[in-house]
Amino acid sequence: MAAPRGWRLVWQGCRLLHTEPSAAPQPPSPLYPPVVASHTAKSKSAKRRRLEYFYQQVHAAPSIAEKLQLYGRLQRLKYVVYPQTFSLNADRWYQSFTKTVFVPGLPPAGAEPAGLGVPDLSELRSLTCDALLQEHFYQRKRERPFLYREQQHVPAPFLTQLVSSLTAALGSCNPLLTTSCLDLKPQVNFYWERGETVVCRGYRTGRIDPVRFQIDDKPQIQIRVPKQLPEFVPLDYSVPGEVPVINHKPDKLPLFKRQYDNKIFIGSKVADPCSYGHTQFHLIPDKLKRERLLKANLADQIEVTYRANGIASLFAWTAAQAMYQGFWCEADVTRPFVSQAVITDGKYFAFFCYQLNTLALTVRADQNNPRKNICWGTESKPLYEAVEGNNVKGFNDEILLQLVQFLLNRPEQL
Amino acid sequence: MATGKVLYPLYQLGNPQLRIFRPNFFMTLVRPGVSQPEDTVQFRISMQMTRVDVKNYLEKIYNVPVSVVRTRIQYGANNKRNHKNQKVKKPDYKVAYVQLGQGQTFQFPNLFPEKEETPEPGSVEDIQKQFMENERQRQTADPRRGGVTNWFGL
Repeated sequence: MAAPRGWRLVWQGCRLLHTEPSAAPQPPSPLYPPVVASHTAKSKSAKRRRLEYFYQQVHAAPSIAEKLQLYGRLQRLKYVVYPQTFSLNADRWYQSFTKTVFVPGLPPAGAEPAGLGVPDLSELRSLTCDALLQEHFYQRKRERPFLYREQQHVPAPFLTQLVSSLTAALGSCNPLLTTSCLDLKPQVNFYWERGETVVCRGYRTGRIDPVRFQIDDKPQIQIRVPKQLPEFVPLDYSVPGEVPVINHKPDKLPLFKRQYDNKIFIGSKVADPCSYGHTQFHLIPDKLKRERLLKANLADQIEVTYRANGIASLFAWTAAQAMYQGFWCEADVTRPFVSQAVITDGKYFAFFCYQLNTLALTVRADQNNPRKNICWGTESKPLYEAVEGNNVKGFNDEILLQLVQFLLNRPEQL
Repeated sequence: MATGKVLYPLYQLGNPQLRIFRPNFFMTLVRPGVSQPEDTVQFRISMQMTRVDVKNYLEKIYNVPVSVVRTRIQYGANNKRNHKNQKVKKPDYKVAYVQLGQGQTFQFPNLFPEKEETPEPGSVEDIQKQFMENERQRQTADPRRGGVTNWFGL
């Protein structure tokens, strides 16, 4: 009876198949957990898994303050980058640290937004001359400046007075300035990683670590605005110029390492409404003044100090603004961030514009990243020739005009 | 020739310079152990020299434009012991890193380049080299055997 029994079984199987045609076969629930790399082993895959977990945590952070706290949670030895440095050829090194292309001159002038009023240059010139003469001639400063305090004696109050009076006077032409925030000697900090190196001493010898940098800057004056400035060039614009590649360790600059709090700060906390930057004003310190560099036979380093200061300070400020909006190296910026700076030593002025196109500077994020940050900068030119008695000789209107144009920069819709 | 001690007049600012003092310092240009940037030259200098001394020395005696000098003292270890089990100290020395001015660069030269020795035909070295080469070829096995030893086979 084997054959009829076999037939009956097949018949029953066909009936079962016919009665349940539409039910999809249920995938069997997994009997074992997914096979992934170890979390704690001393292996590359374990390191990769820990990094992925960390990135997921930062991506999923509920607020920006928590994101920043998680990003800078781990403290390790990092290079402290000083924007105002005596190191030779520091601007090339800083360009390689921040993936910036330096373009001499100023960015291409965009379309002027609908003019709300042309500023009266003669009035602004008189304001400038007033501020100049007040510090140089009218105000009798009894104490002679102590060693290395000359910049704080005359140029610093002149710059503060100049910026505050110009900002107030241009409020009618640029309504953005009426909602802006003027900071005096604010803190600007930024922490980032770029490139990789092998740890040479300590209990972590032999491991591959990212190279960490920190900038702690204190510009003289800073203007922060609630709306972002318009971009100078599109986000993926191919700049004519290269980022300098330096194959030596940053120690050779010389640059020194320290371990402390990884702070990211634009001048105000995250909750402040004025979270975008407009213009920074920097004062060259006494040790890097023109006369000292000329006396030490370093005349070619005068422009280098201005450029290094511009690139480093503006990168730190702009990148911190981008991080305040939630972008970081694994979540690159979707729109360019823009800032301006004026660097002066009291007499000579140099103007800088910075456009941040990418925050992805780590090795992992920079693998297929064609974007570069761009810094435009001019050479330093004197605002006046000399102050003799109660008049200013050789006033340069172009510098004042450039300063006014910087302050009038605003987005199209307000 | 006056053998006694010569008394020079006391020098005051503006007087003609009657004596020249040569420094008792010596500087040794060394090859950097770690690669340095192109404008940096590494010297071993006397422990009593300062960076100002180094700058003046190079500028005035050798007319080398110097931008900046950085110095450090290298401690010589005291761990080795001699046959009497006494500690032997390696001497300390001062290192100066000099950054050249006016955009000049310096690369430490290769003092012992590898030379292609081509012995002249007919000399003793040439005959020796030929003989050694022939010997070596006689010793090597037949390449057609593909590395298989002579044990296998007839």
